[in-house]
Amino acid sequence: MINGNYHKKGSAAREAAVLSINDLGRYAIELEDGTVHRGELSHLNISERLGNVERKIRLEDGSVFGTLDNDAVDTLFKGAQKVNAFVHYLETHLKWIVVAVLVAIFTAFSFFKWGVPWASDKIAHTLPYSTNELIAKGSMDFLDEYMFEKSALGEGIQERIRQHFNENIAHISVDDESEIEYKLHFRSWTMGYTEIPNALALPSGDIILTDKFVQIAANQDEIDSVLLHEMGHVVHRHGLEMLIEGTFVTVAVMLMTGDGTAMGDMGVGLGSALLSSSYSRGHESEADKYAFDKMLKAGVDPKSFSNIMNRLTAYMSDEYQDNKQKKDDNVMDYFASHPSTQKRVDLANRYSECFKQGLTVCK
Amino acid sequence: MEALRFTGSGSEYFKIWIVNVLLTIITLGIYYPWAKVRNKRYFYANSNLADRNFEYHATGKQLFIGFLIAVGIFIVFQIVSQISPIASIVLIIALFIAIPWIIWRSLMFNMRVTSFSNVHFGFKGKLKQAYINFFVYPFLLIVLIYGLPLLAAFAPMIGVPETLATILSFSLILILPAAFYLFAFIKKINTEYIINGSRYGQGIFEASVETKKFMMINLKTLGISVLVLLVMGILAALFGGGMEILATFDTESFEQGQLPEGLIGILALGYFFMLIGMIFIMAFSITRQRTYVYANTKLDDEIAFESTLRARDFAWVMLSNMLLVIVTLGLAMPWAKVRMAKLMLENTLVDTSTGFDEYINQKQDEESSLGEQIGDAFDVDVGVAF
Repeated sequence: MINGNYHKKGSAAREAAVLSINDLGRYAIELEDGTVHRGELSHLNISERLGNVERKIRLEDGSVFGTLDNDAVDTLFKGAQKVNAFVHYLETHLKWIVVAVLVAIFTAFSFFKWGVPWASDKIAHTLPYSTNELIAKGSMDFLDEYMFEKSALGEGIQERIRQHFNENIAHISVDDESEIEYKLHFRSWTMGYTEIPNALALPSGDIILTDKFVQIAANQDEIDSVLLHEMGHVVHRHGLEMLIEGTFVTVAVMLMTGDGTAMGDMGVGLGSALLSSSYSRGHESEADKYAFDKMLKAGVDPKSFSNIMNRLTAYMSDEYQDNKQKKDDNVMDYFASHPSTQKRVDLANRYSECFKQGLTVCK
Repeated sequence: MEALRFTGSGSEYFKIWIVNVLLTIITLGIYYPWAKVRNKRYFYANSNLADRNFEYHATGKQLFIGFLIAVGIFIVFQIVSQISPIASIVLIIALFIAIPWIIWRSLMFNMRVTSFSNVHFGFKGKLKQAYINFFVYPFLLIVLIYGLPLLAAFAPMIGVPETLATILSFSLILILPAAFYLFAFIKKINTEYIINGSRYGQGIFEASVETKKFMMINLKTLGISVLVLLVMGILAALFGGGMEILATFDTESFEQGQLPEGLIGILALGYFFMLIGMIFIMAFSITRQRTYVYANTKLDDEIAFESTLRARDFAWVMLSNMLLVIVTLGLAMPWAKVRMAKLMLENTLVDTSTGFDEYINQKQDEESSLGEQIGDAFDVDVGVAF
């Protein structure tokens, strides 16, 4: 016996009703006014169970019996009716819920950790080279306008570095990406009262060295090592990859949160900030590796790279000791975009060993 | 007047949601339409008015066709844009021209697959009107905002007589008020198109709204936006240590357009404040419009509606939901959705004194012919939720 409501076909009006079945596989629905509807159980169409929402049982003539007594329906019709209960089974068994949560977490994690960088890499390298130049278009003007000043380095120094680069370094990447035309630029970059030592590469192959960087570099090898690192970014198309990764994250988070409203926005903004710094750490390692490999070929001691990195870091921490508040290293590490300095130094040392043995490949 | 109730719970919905996620993952996305049906069925069936509930009748198979078409269009578009940029522009224009038709089909589909107390809804709006509402007027708005200034700027060069050019540049002053008016006018005609085209069984919905009222709401929203911007400016000045941190990043981090470490924290904070502001502005606009539209909507001149949704409650639920979802990395999504459904339904009031017993299905609402099934494929959610 199941209590519920009965609707005539297509009518909003309803009457209280009771459904019962007998051993012969027939049902009876008795309405409040005494009317009884009878028929074969197998002719009833029962809606799929979903949580505890009202169950609709459709009769042959299109009238509907609705009830909230889901358990009674399940027991009464067991075997007599094929009720697609597979999904409901999963939904009501704790072990499957746990499995689902684990699978969801694992999938989301792997997707962001490995899937996105892998796919971005593939896509970035499938696109024609001109895309690379396209995204760099205007960047140089923007940087000149808002960040850089004209270089104060003497023409002689600039020309010497440029010439050395063109003759000894620039051609090294030809095997990997023949279309790139590297161009060296010298600029001065000051922030507050501090000159910033830095080297940066645009996807187009424009590499910018700041005055302070050139001053801090002790020798040509050190400059070359950093230039090779920058070329690594260009060859591996990291600029383009960042763009594609960003798009992936945006679309994925939008799909996950299910909308483009504020909830999605916040997730996308924060998510991409955190993820992009994690992805760029991967890019830094990749550029390091590229630089080390090429240094062996160009006859530059990989030790130079860790030397200049150490000196740059020392300079920066000296410069900003006053400003630096105590910060939580673990949290900061998550935000940091580069591999930890120690790891870098270790790798440089390993390559340096290879270099001293006269190897051109280091495993 | 009686409020709607939501009878589901977050924990119950969580199980349904996570199993949907699981099945969608292991079927590589193919299960998605069936998952969507289960989601919608849960929310519709738990929406309760006077002890009667709503129902969602679309099947996974119906939605799957639409899903396939959408995926197909996406793939074609990707390939075409690789081969020929001109062809991809043509495709984009074609898509724009198709939008009113898609909206129209979706309204019909979504209404038809929804029922309340065993009686289906329906949509009888005309396709022609959909083109006027969703194509002609928005197009006019774009021409007004972008086209007119461009024309005025280039008028001397393309040999427009001087007097006409002068008149043209003077007319630029009118762009802002005209756009403001047109914006509210579009809102008015869209509201009337959707509501007046809606049916419940044989019952006819009717709304009559005025452009003036929407303009007032928009004006107030604008005022609040200015106020919020001011507050944000003051906050930014108070917390404005951002520049200091900007100066402490190390050499590598700016490469490839990355941001220095501490700056991300500052930006996230600023971003967060901006979002609070935006949420509140949005909540204000939505709730005011809702209140106005509901108060002027009737079913068969007998059944009236009312919205009691307040901007601050709406903003609070949106904001706290957002934080909840972020902190739990998305796992609290089901609770967030249930909270929102509860808030919306409990603030929707319907006059139930005449009752619904007289309503009966109209034939065409229930069944769809073969030809319509292709149209069924397009179920885009148009903003008609309660």
